[in-house]
Amino acid sequence: MPQGASRPASKGTHAGYAGHPPNHPNHAPSRAPTMEQVTAMLARVGPFGSTPPSPAAPAASPSSAPGNPGSSGTSSAGAGAVALATSSRPSGQDALRWERRLQKELMAFVTDPPPGLSIDADVTSQNLQDWTVELQGAEGTLYEGEHFQLNFKFNSKYPFDAPQVMFIGNHIPVHPHIYSNGHICLSILTEDWSPAHSVQSVCLSIMSMLSSCKDKKRPVDNSLYVKTCNKNPKKTKWWYHDDTV
Amino acid sequence: MGDEVREADGEKRVEAPTNQDNLIMEQQRQIEEEISEAIPLVGVKEDLLCALEKEYAADPIYTMKAKDLSSKYSSIRRMRPDGNCFFRAFAYAYFERLLTNKDEYKSFYDIVSKSKDDLIELGFPQFTLEDFYDTFMEVVERIGGGEMAQDELYELFNVTGQSNYIVVYLRLITSGKLQRDADFYLNFIDGNRTMTAFCHQEVEPMFKESDHIHIIALSAALNVGVRVRYMDRGDSAQVIAHDFPEGTTPAVHLLYRPGHYDILYEH
Repeated sequence: MPQGASRPASKGTHAGYAGHPPNHPNHAPSRAPTMEQVTAMLARVGPFGSTPPSPAAPAASPSSAPGNPGSSGTSSAGAGAVALATSSRPSGQDALRWERRLQKELMAFVTDPPPGLSIDADVTSQNLQDWTVELQGAEGTLYEGEHFQLNFKFNSKYPFDAPQVMFIGNHIPVHPHIYSNGHICLSILTEDWSPAHSVQSVCLSIMSMLSSCKDKKRPVDNSLYVKTCNKNPKKTKWWYHDDTV
Repeated sequence: MGDEVREADGEKRVEAPTNQDNLIMEQQRQIEEEISEAIPLVGVKEDLLCALEKEYAADPIYTMKAKDLSSKYSSIRRMRPDGNCFFRAFAYAYFERLLTNKDEYKSFYDIVSKSKDDLIELGFPQFTLEDFYDTFMEVVERIGGGEMAQDELYELFNVTGQSNYIVVYLRLITSGKLQRDADFYLNFIDGNRTMTAFCHQEVEPMFKESDHIHIIALSAALNVGVRVRYMDRGDSAQVIAHDFPEGTTPAVHLLYRPGHYDILYEH
């Protein structure tokens, strides 16, 4: 069980400039993966924690060529027979490194979901660059009984580039570091991002940020920020000045 | 332009055409791309005096220092200035040495193969740690297997993902050492940050530049002596050397010029 989970999210806070509120489209309701799906994922990724696929591993599926990461090309396969590339080595292995990493992360997430978090493995494995995690407010906190959706977008430089992370859907948590457009002020999402973080550790940081909240309110500059910010929160120049919440 | 001013004075302003931010991000991306096209992650070995004299033709102080340096070193290997240069230079120079030094390889192998469990014990996230450890050890094992040649190492370090995975793992080892011996290393950091916060902000993230404290911790953690030659505007004719950890025999020689590290090769 990844202990990393518990690395505290550093400081949060507000401020920033420029842009539009995000309009995030589609997203499917979460459901638990079937055992077959998990088995299929395990087969694709190889033994957990082992070294990456050997040179003898099956060659990459042609539908997910390095230059075309996560495109709709991979989503044509039906449920249960998801077309995912196993990176072949040595050729192209570097281009697919992000994909292998996300496959491993997804598998770990699905086989051992952290408390309060869940993900639709089927939908996610069809486009590894876009994850929607369902998040449940923890018991005994101000968010008990509430459900939220957290969206992650990855580029091909992941994990060296931080994912773009924001709340989506109709219900955005009311919190001093979360804007009503879903943007989150959390330093590990921008300047303190490190490749040792993961979807799981980010989710848990956000969970702990919610759980430690004592006063449900929006950031003081919410209405200004939401009117003027870029739709990508990574393009906000955040000011992290408060780590008490 | 307008946006840079806004960043600098830290104020939020209402007038904010979205596209300006995007344009600036785009421009930054292009600049980074230009740098990465122009300068490889790890460069080829160049004749030291030749390279530095050309670079400092109009600069008497640096020319004098280049001469001094060339009495001790024959060649230089430049690194891409991307904030990871210390870690990449360290790894490259030391791995290159290990290609031919079997005894040292064995003790290094023993140290690094234990490092994963030490880091997990310190609370590092096992999942991501394993990813970096595996890639790192894969390279280490290829070196020890005697199947790797110089030019393979060179190619491997110029493949961005693989090269960066090695950098990340060294950053994690450094962070682990700093946190394990926090009582000692806290003396070297400013302000009242905790060691954990310092590591999260200055050691673990990619592209954050290294300072003495990073070098001391990494060289101590891996038991690899590093000699850094400092080349700056100071008026001494000599290029001063510092050894990390103090008193060890250096296995890796680096040239420091403000903000940047390259590899040096002795005569």
